[in-house]
Amino acid sequence: MTKRAPHLTIDLRGTPCPLNWVKTKLRLEGMEAGQLLEIVVDDGNPAKNVPRSAEEEGHRVVEVSPTAEGVRVVIEKG
Amino acid sequence: MEQVYLDHAATTPPRAEVIAAMCASLQGQWGNPSSLYATGIRALEAVERARERVAAVLGARAEEIVFTASGTEADNHALVGATIAGEGRGDHIVTSAIEHHAIEHTAEFLERRGVRVTYLPVDSTGLVDPAAVGRAITDRTLLVSIMHANNEVGTLQPIAEIGAICRKRGVLFHTDAVQTFGHVPINVTEMRIDLLSLAAHKLYGPKGVGALFVRTGVKLEPYLHGGGQELGRRASTENTPGIVGLGEAARLAGAEMTQESAHVSALRDRVISGVLANVPEVALTGHPTRRLPNNASFAIRGTEGQALVLELDSEGFAVSSGSACSSGSYRPSHVLLALGLPPEAARGSLRVSVGRDTTPEQVERFLGVLPSVVARVRKTLETRT
Repeated sequence: MTKRAPHLTIDLRGTPCPLNWVKTKLRLEGMEAGQLLEIVVDDGNPAKNVPRSAEEEGHRVVEVSPTAEGVRVVIEKG
Repeated sequence: MEQVYLDHAATTPPRAEVIAAMCASLQGQWGNPSSLYATGIRALEAVERARERVAAVLGARAEEIVFTASGTEADNHALVGATIAGEGRGDHIVTSAIEHHAIEHTAEFLERRGVRVTYLPVDSTGLVDPAAVGRAITDRTLLVSIMHANNEVGTLQPIAEIGAICRKRGVLFHTDAVQTFGHVPINVTEMRIDLLSLAAHKLYGPKGVGALFVRTGVKLEPYLHGGGQELGRRASTENTPGIVGLGEAARLAGAEMTQESAHVSALRDRVISGVLANVPEVALTGHPTRRLPNNASFAIRGTEGQALVLELDSEGFAVSSGSACSSGSYRPSHVLLALGLPPEAARGSLRVSVGRDTTPEQVERFLGVLPSVVARVRKTLETRT
């Protein structure tokens, strides 16, 4: 399967919880269902909380992958 | 008698959409935006949505917007915060002779604490010469603060040129955009603005809320100390409904700017041509073309501004004047004196500022009444002397 390119990428490293989720949510609001949002968050609580909040609000977390710079999370808008 | 409101430079009536958004916020977003649970997060969402809306009108990033309680607070924060942050590097500020009191009096406050301030003169139309800004900057200069548009005479300053000079010289550039935000296009990147003040109530939003744009990387000492709100840049629990009101007002103003500007500038031009044609011994103050789309301001010989305002109030019109009566003596506005008007001419200042709800019929009624009001005030003053 070919990987789809994200519609938008935002860097949320250094942005604390829950502000990182709020910023993610505002971006998702402006997207079409099925489009992908890629975010980069800090490891630790942000990497756990943001994907969890996204799923709670009906979006699909496609990928959570640690990288050298932070944790890459790809969310499909539900 | 229903009053015709022609003082939109003083404040504007909140739009119905703004009131609705604020009421909904008071009911549903009353949580503390700093709280980690759902009730707080709902309020945080509202604040961040408003931040994005304000940033969009400026061409800024949301993170660069710091909400304040007013344009005055934003001005104070910019000047005091930049000066303290720059201690050791410099001790000099450049501003103009026609700034709003929020800048003028803050600069004077800093002067009393050892900061040197250069007050640049303006020409007879109220324009600051960008070359003079360049000449005033020294290796001790921390900040240049020049307003985008003057609140009394409406002159629009060459902000992009001044911004370019400041950037080239490595000096911070602040502009007080309280009169222009939401009314005149602003792009903080293109205009090379580092700090910008705005207030919601000038664009049909609520009073008690404003914002300071702080370019990423600009070092500014906080002005209010306490909690870590606004990412540590401004303590105090956020005024969520006020911020929501500002966000909604900004969204609407951004979407309707072109249309509103065309509407109000046509009315402004009619006020100017009508007053100049029908009132003897009157002069337009400010720049003939580079002025706020809603501002018509005049100096009317042989009158006093406050008397004109009160007489027009009794005729059902709300306008304003730059001169204020203090203990029975009239103090001409510092702005009009800086434009070179003699004090006796500056005393008769009148500012008419139209708005989105102003109609051509209201303007014609005003123009019909003004000549007799002026004649009455002149006669009263002649009798008094």
